[in-house]
Amino acid sequence: MRFPLPVRAHAGTLAVLVALTAVACLLVAGLPRATQASFDEALRRALTTAPAVQTDLTVASEPVEDLRERAQFESLYRHWQHSVPAALRPLITPDGHMSAKTSRTPVTGTGGGTYINLGWLSDADRRVDWVQGRMPGPTSTTRHEGETIPLIEVGVVDEAVREMGLGVGQIKMLGESDYVAVKIVGIFKAKNPGDRYWSHDLDILHVSKQRPPGGMDEELHLTTLMSDAGLTALSGAARHLTYRWVLPLDGRAASALDVPDLDAAVAELGRLVKVQEVSNNPHRLDTGLPKLLDDFSAALAAAQTVLYLALGGLLTVALGVIVLGVRLLTDRMEHTFALARARGGSLRQVAGAGAAMTALAVAPAALAGYALSFLVPGPVLAVVHVGPAVVVVTAVAFAAVRVSVAHRTPLHERRDDVADARPSVRRVTLEVLVVGLALVGAYLLRARGLSQDPLLLFVPVALTLAAALITLRCYPYPLRLLVRLAARGRAAVPFLGLTRAARARSASGLPVLVLLPALAVSVFATMISNEIASTQVRASWQQVGAPIKVTSVGEIPASVIEKVRATDGVEQVVMAQTGQVQLADAPEYAAAIAVDVAQWRRLIAGTPISVPPLSGGTSALVSPALKGRGAFEIGWLSRPRVTPQGVIDSVPGFWSSGKFLVMPMTVLPRPQANTLLIKGDVSRAELARLVPAATVDSQKRALAAIREDPLTGIVRSTLVVVTVALGLYALVAVVLSLLVGAAERARAVSFLRTLGLSDRQARRLTVLEVLPMVLVTALVGLGLGLGLPIALGPGVDLSAYAGDLQVSGYSPDLVMAGVLAGGLAVAAALGAYAHTALGRHRDLGAVLRVGDQS
Amino acid sequence: MNPTLSELEARATDARNKAAFGGDAHIVCDNLVRIYKTEGVEVVALQGLDLVIDKGELVAIVGASGSGKSTLLNVLSGLDVPTAGVARVGGMDLLSMTPRDRLRYRRSVVGFIWQQTARNLLPYLNARENVELPMKLAGATRKGRAMELLELLGVASCATRKVSDMSGGEQQRVAIAVAIANSPQLVLADEPTGELDSETSEQVFAALRTANRELGVTVVIVTHDPLVSEQVDRTVGIRDGRTSSETLRRESAEGQIIAEEYAVLDRVGRLQLPRDFMSALNMERRVRLELESDHIGVWPSREEPSSD
Repeated sequence: MRFPLPVRAHAGTLAVLVALTAVACLLVAGLPRATQASFDEALRRALTTAPAVQTDLTVASEPVEDLRERAQFESLYRHWQHSVPAALRPLITPDGHMSAKTSRTPVTGTGGGTYINLGWLSDADRRVDWVQGRMPGPTSTTRHEGETIPLIEVGVVDEAVREMGLGVGQIKMLGESDYVAVKIVGIFKAKNPGDRYWSHDLDILHVSKQRPPGGMDEELHLTTLMSDAGLTALSGAARHLTYRWVLPLDGRAASALDVPDLDAAVAELGRLVKVQEVSNNPHRLDTGLPKLLDDFSAALAAAQTVLYLALGGLLTVALGVIVLGVRLLTDRMEHTFALARARGGSLRQVAGAGAAMTALAVAPAALAGYALSFLVPGPVLAVVHVGPAVVVVTAVAFAAVRVSVAHRTPLHERRDDVADARPSVRRVTLEVLVVGLALVGAYLLRARGLSQDPLLLFVPVALTLAAALITLRCYPYPLRLLVRLAARGRAAVPFLGLTRAARARSASGLPVLVLLPALAVSVFATMISNEIASTQVRASWQQVGAPIKVTSVGEIPASVIEKVRATDGVEQVVMAQTGQVQLADAPEYAAAIAVDVAQWRRLIAGTPISVPPLSGGTSALVSPALKGRGAFEIGWLSRPRVTPQGVIDSVPGFWSSGKFLVMPMTVLPRPQANTLLIKGDVSRAELARLVPAATVDSQKRALAAIREDPLTGIVRSTLVVVTVALGLYALVAVVLSLLVGAAERARAVSFLRTLGLSDRQARRLTVLEVLPMVLVTALVGLGLGLGLPIALGPGVDLSAYAGDLQVSGYSPDLVMAGVLAGGLAVAAALGAYAHTALGRHRDLGAVLRVGDQS
Repeated sequence: MNPTLSELEARATDARNKAAFGGDAHIVCDNLVRIYKTEGVEVVALQGLDLVIDKGELVAIVGASGSGKSTLLNVLSGLDVPTAGVARVGGMDLLSMTPRDRLRYRRSVVGFIWQQTARNLLPYLNARENVELPMKLAGATRKGRAMELLELLGVASCATRKVSDMSGGEQQRVAIAVAIANSPQLVLADEPTGELDSETSEQVFAALRTANRELGVTVVIVTHDPLVSEQVDRTVGIRDGRTSSETLRRESAEGQIIAEEYAVLDRVGRLQLPRDFMSALNMERRVRLELESDHIGVWPSREEPSSD
């Protein structure tokens, strides 16, 4: 069809459409990319900061049949590598290692006090430096109690020299029945002790001290390092021997989208390892990866829910505003279409022209927005392609449908000034259905256990739609009441303005449908974001327990404490002593803190945390686990008897679970402190200098750490972007709805001006006409936005973003929400005012004549 | 005496022929009714209108505001569908047309001109492009046709000008060119000179007459201006949704233009007396008729009007 498209005549409207579409497509395609990028970043951080022993895939085996050759290990290693499912393979790096280590191998004659295990690492030569002696060599034999036993050359870590008194040349006899001798020939040091690698073999790098259950003495454990030759002397029959093949996981290549696949792949590998018969030995897969992935998934799911709610709202509003823009365009082209239709244009030609004109603006703009979104870092998701396509299709389809409906019959003289069209039964039924469905959905959402389900996404949309429909239906009624009141008054302007508002055509429905979700979602987003922020602050206080906390391993001397008190900026210092106390005579321990509770309470007054008051020299606050025991004796320096005075769920800054108790400083024989709680403006570095060998933590640092988490960051920043974008969209919607009705309003105002309406009265008239709709919509949107978190709150677990503290009890932030709604109303009023003021110089005759279509 | 079967047949055929009111005239409206319904309000715009216009006629339809003349024009132009009655143009029944027929009808059978000069033309196209628009919509652009028409109507100089650069008269003449672009058989004009001064009106009427004479197009002009009757061959008056009078213009033997006004007699013999005639003789409710040899006399009722 060769239909002349009046591009230049409608350049302004087209430009508005272009801008709206480009921004919408950029947001719709870009925001998911950015969020997905930070989801990936969060996953990578979770995987790379966790100890390697958790993330790596370790095939372990307690052998029935010993492997004595390095080659046997290597062939199995290759086998496990090949068994890794495809989904996991890109994440597995080739530089894995194998180990064979015994555990709980006692040194003969120490009565179970010292354990020296035998260990072999396939890549020891790359991991350690020999600082003394030499590398272990081949094994030999020696005689012990008349028997020939193997003598294995081993190396030990330098820490063992200090902690266990081991040295080069020492020979230790191991075992209580099946003996083996080890000769220490070298002392080594890890080349890079900070390497994540070592988390698999900390027993080789460090001497560990363990207290057996019920025992009072500490046991020392160490694993030595031997050469390949030592493998021949290792036997699963005589020792607790474990073989390990470690397949390292490189978290940097992980993507959040693959998490379910990874989960499944790990499970599959676990199954394969168990069922494959590669030797007579049973194998199993040891990895903390599923738990890590599950934890991440839980946090991710909550983030996704919130973000998809916000982004869904944004898309809806953006589409609504674009549709409003298309409506403005088709309204402006009304004359063209009507004329073409009357002159023999078919419906297809006319609708096609409307669609083509819209596509002319929308398609390149969408392409531009789509292209710009590629500047946003992040993976390319399906929504990146689908989003802009949806925008284009919606805009073009709306244009085609609207023009088709308006010009179905060639002569279209609407007489809706004569009488209000009564709503059709069909429409009322549909509306009742939508409202009913929304209410039922909301009820179901609250009634059944909330989990990740589509209902969570459906209910807000349905509720918003229902609220919009009810608003559209009902808002003329209170207005008509006002009109009656205004009719009694002497002033004409309120009466005229309100009457026009009450009689507004259903055209005003579109702005309502845009404004309502815009306000609702932005209020919702603001509330969620504020709630996360305040919970984060609470969590940071909960973590540290004071503005600044100095924790020392040993006692902090009184002189140092005095120095701290005297430091510039320090306002208050509270001493506290923490430790493990024995409860009564039983082998039961609890964490305890001795502190002047009254001082502490003063220190944290005005913060989100609190400690109950404690009176009496020997009364204590106990954890729920210690509740109901009556007075009991504790072993802590002396043996005071304490009386529980109350139960406390957590001690801010110290413990939130397990057994713990808070006591006054007086239970200690003399005041002493290993912890200082400080209030004041003093740098952490300064305190660290004053109190050596202490860690200094502050609430500010804790808060920064919580906020630094990429998931938390993206949730908050996306919510902020969405709120700002929605606020702007709401403004654009108001402006567009003003423009849509501009011609008709200009005609009415011009007519009234011929009857003597002054400029000032005309401006007031327009404001009065526009304001009721905006005010009513703003109020309903506000209510809906405040109600949504209450309806959905339990369904959205945001604890992952708030330092693992449950985000609960959304307190409506009326100030913020009120500012949003009020700002919108003021902007609308100003817009209406300016609009009329600008149109004041229009030629009355021209307006009246051009508008006259009868 | 009872009629024979053949006589009955003959009578029926006669009746059918009679019922074919207007015969093969170009425009036939028989008992045309158009009722607008808006919520709770019914407006009867045409209440049994009869009209016959022959091919190639130049006819004006005059009537006061609200008499139904614009409705009649919308019906004839295929933009509106009558509620009941018969409306035929060139043998096509306007009541039973499908939307597709109606579109073809608007494209090739009828062209029209509105009163508002601004409404007839697209402001962002020049005159030539405006004339080409209906041809493009119909998918039958003839090269040079637009310029021919503009020349014929004396507005060739406006060909490259936009609407805003033309005078009202030029705009309406271009609008006539637009209306006849697809060589319609019928041109309908709704108050084409309503916004123009008398001198410019003359030019527009001249253009319409040119189209009528040169192209043989039937032209129907709707207006409330009784003076238009001086410009056309026949003027049909409409009152209250019915045709009430006709004025025929003819040249006398001396070369003078004589306009004679006739009352319209419908098929069942109803006659609408001019309102001023009735008030002059104080005729109300009923009149007395007397058949004379060459005319019918109408007298006021003899009864004295009741005193109350």
